[in-house]
Amino acid sequence: MTRQEAAARRLLGREQEAEREQKVTNLWADALRRMARNRAAIVGLVIIIALVIMAIFADKIAPYDYRAGDSADNYMVPLWLTRILPGNMAAYAQIGNKYLFGADYLGRDLLSRVIYGTRVSLPVGFVGAMTALIIGLVYGSISGYYGGKVDDIMMRIVDIVYAFPTMLLIILLMAFFKTSFGGANVPGTAAYTFNRINHVVDRFLGLEGGGMLFIFMGIGITAWMGIARLARGQILSLKEKEFILASRMIGASDIRIITRHILPNIIGPILVTVTLSIPGYISTEVFLSFIGLGVDPPTPSWGAMISEGARAIRSYPNQVLLPALMLAITMFAFNFLGDGLRDALDPRMRGTS
Amino acid sequence: MLSKKRMYWVVAIVIAVATILSGCAGAKGGGKVLRVNLGTEPPTLDPALATDTTSVQCDEVLFLGLTDFDDKTVEVIPELATEWSVSPDGLVWTFKMRKDVEWVHYDPVKKKVEKKGKVTAHDIVYGVRRTVDPATASDYAYVDYIIKNAEAINTGKNTDLNSLGVRAVDDYTVEFTLEQPAGYFPGIAGMWVNRPQPRQPIEQFGDKWTEPGNIWTNGPYMLETWEHESKMVFVKNPYYVNAKNVDIDRVEAVMVVEESTAFAMYENGELDVVGVPSTEMERVKSDPVLSKELYIAPYLCTYYYGFNVSKPPMDNVKLRLALSYAIDRQKLVDTVLKGGQRPAKTFACPGIFGSPADDPNFVGVSYDPAKAKQLLAESGYTGTPEITLMFNTSEGHQRIAEFIQRGWKETLGIDVKLANQEWKVYLQTVNTDAPQIYRLGWCADYPDENNWVLENFHPTKGSNNPKWSPDDPAAQRFMKAVEDAAAASDPKERARLYFEAEKILVEEQAIIAPIYYYTRVVVTKPYVQRTYAPLGGEHWDKWKITK
Repeated sequence: MTRQEAAARRLLGREQEAEREQKVTNLWADALRRMARNRAAIVGLVIIIALVIMAIFADKIAPYDYRAGDSADNYMVPLWLTRILPGNMAAYAQIGNKYLFGADYLGRDLLSRVIYGTRVSLPVGFVGAMTALIIGLVYGSISGYYGGKVDDIMMRIVDIVYAFPTMLLIILLMAFFKTSFGGANVPGTAAYTFNRINHVVDRFLGLEGGGMLFIFMGIGITAWMGIARLARGQILSLKEKEFILASRMIGASDIRIITRHILPNIIGPILVTVTLSIPGYISTEVFLSFIGLGVDPPTPSWGAMISEGARAIRSYPNQVLLPALMLAITMFAFNFLGDGLRDALDPRMRGTS
Repeated sequence: MLSKKRMYWVVAIVIAVATILSGCAGAKGGGKVLRVNLGTEPPTLDPALATDTTSVQCDEVLFLGLTDFDDKTVEVIPELATEWSVSPDGLVWTFKMRKDVEWVHYDPVKKKVEKKGKVTAHDIVYGVRRTVDPATASDYAYVDYIIKNAEAINTGKNTDLNSLGVRAVDDYTVEFTLEQPAGYFPGIAGMWVNRPQPRQPIEQFGDKWTEPGNIWTNGPYMLETWEHESKMVFVKNPYYVNAKNVDIDRVEAVMVVEESTAFAMYENGELDVVGVPSTEMERVKSDPVLSKELYIAPYLCTYYYGFNVSKPPMDNVKLRLALSYAIDRQKLVDTVLKGGQRPAKTFACPGIFGSPADDPNFVGVSYDPAKAKQLLAESGYTGTPEITLMFNTSEGHQRIAEFIQRGWKETLGIDVKLANQEWKVYLQTVNTDAPQIYRLGWCADYPDENNWVLENFHPTKGSNNPKWSPDDPAAQRFMKAVEDAAAASDPKERARLYFEAEKILVEEQAIIAPIYYYTRVVVTKPYVQRTYAPLGGEHWDKWKITK
């Protein structure tokens, strides 16, 4: 056997192997397998699952209620924290082991508030992602698939909304929602209806008086545009492909073509984009709460806690630490997961690991 | 695209230029500099329009009034006036003015000061008329309703400005005719709204007359810079009558809203005097250096929650009373504010003539959870319509609101929503359509109850943010008490009537829930010798820097 022969056989063998593999695995199983090998992504996934559990069972896990406390305990800090943090907190702060991470300015347990804070941050992330996915995908698919005038009009609308600075738009919307809907007391008006829906949403999340619906609306209104553009772009390139033409030729309806042939082919990159944008929605809420436009007090939001903690940082550096740490961990988790998904779903990565 | 090497050059040049420019800005024009924080952009510098403490602070050093208040005794002392007298019937007040006060114009570009003529009685007459003129739209014109015809002119019932009860007898004598006798009038005569105003720049520049370069002033300081929302610089007026005793040449005032940021600037040596946020109190008290710089000064202000009685459910007296009795004021002061404030049982604070705050026999309101619960049960309120408490955006107000919100939830089981707005917007909201519960503080303009109960809550003559109907029988008793007190001359009788008015306001009707009497918690660098003004603005001209 010559060298060339051996090389050819090896090559052939590999090809056959690859062929075999493709037969038994589909895109998703393949992706899952690659995901499982990506340690960072798995860690991210585990953290996210833990956070979800924390949010669902917050009232069972948290040692105290997020509202309760005695202002006589304000800024109480456990001894172990004063030892590891800079400054001489022990000289003036109330020392007490009642709370594991200390209490805030009204004597509320910081740890409990951070735990309840997941009920703000996670829903914001997921609702942001869901609105982006649902509105963005439908909008983008219609625009891309039908093309022509429909596409022109729909995309110009996106361009117009895009032209607004996103943060400014959200701030304006939040200010508007909060002033005109938040205090609406007259039954029968649209504002009152929004206010009632908001109550239902708050109660469902276990955060009464939080004003969560308005945050969802503020973030959702701007979230879908990126996905819409992405979906449209993907579809534009797909719809001229032979297999689409073929199914059209045999008389498949538009809905069937979009749902059965186009969506499965573009769902990968879209899922990755959506996952990677979740930290963005969470940080938007944090920012809104930081500037006082987020959830209404006393609902604990990490953003509001960081904002309060940052103000107290010179005297009580422990205040900002825990919420900031939690925020950072959550961001990392979603980013790791998103990165992992991208690597796993990217067709060019197929068979590389 | 620039090559990489060239890019380096550009960056280097930019950095160099920036360094030089910032070096220029850093070079102070010599002399003694005081660095303070105004806390916010003053909404106006126009003395006719000022209503808030920041604007008043600026006007205090820019414009002289006929009278002023002594920082220690809170007595009326002469400023532009040298002496004053009142007619036997108490209606005509005559002020003799000093003849050596100059209007000055400062050109900030050429750094040149120019005299613009003497300050005369005509400038005062012009100022008072301008304040009362409805075209000026002064929110503080009602302070002058004591002056003859002022109310009719300001509300448009009388269009003849000349009929206003103020006239210049000669160039340096001004005479006020009042609607009714008022022993506290010399205090009003010196208020910013009644200070001399310069006709020429006002007519020349309109709304822009208070900008640097346009404005004429006559006080110890002149306006050099006003970078809106950022900073102001005041420089000493060399032609000021008492210029040789003014020690500080330049006052640089920043507008840092966040108390904690301003405090950090103080600790870094960027400010010479600053308020202490409650968060830092424990550390300041225990710190060997800061504790020596700390001073808690009395301040003639009351912090209160007002109820808009025209909006349900706040039209329910029992509910209002229940809310007021359920506020644990002492605990709020001890654990949240920490600045030596006193729990308030009345609207007017101690030190105001006619205020029952220091009278042990006056009951007022205090924390009484049992009574609050009973009142709530009697009120029949069951949680609808829901209540919103609104305050202007600030960490301090939010803490107080959260404390009280929790107290109401725990004591009464009532959920109250919190909302906040930025100061200018908030003032507009409160003045036009106050929320169910709104927060405000009231600071004395002159130390008399008239300035408190009548000017704030008289349903027709005051600002009446709670929308108290003049047809309400209790309101009518209140109106009669405050009007009679304003007209009475016997101090005992006046005090008795004001006690009655306060009783109706806070104890019987709970139109407001007073919360605490202010103090001013400040730290001052040891090289600044200062005074503490209990009302109005600080007198920077009386401060000294020994460095």
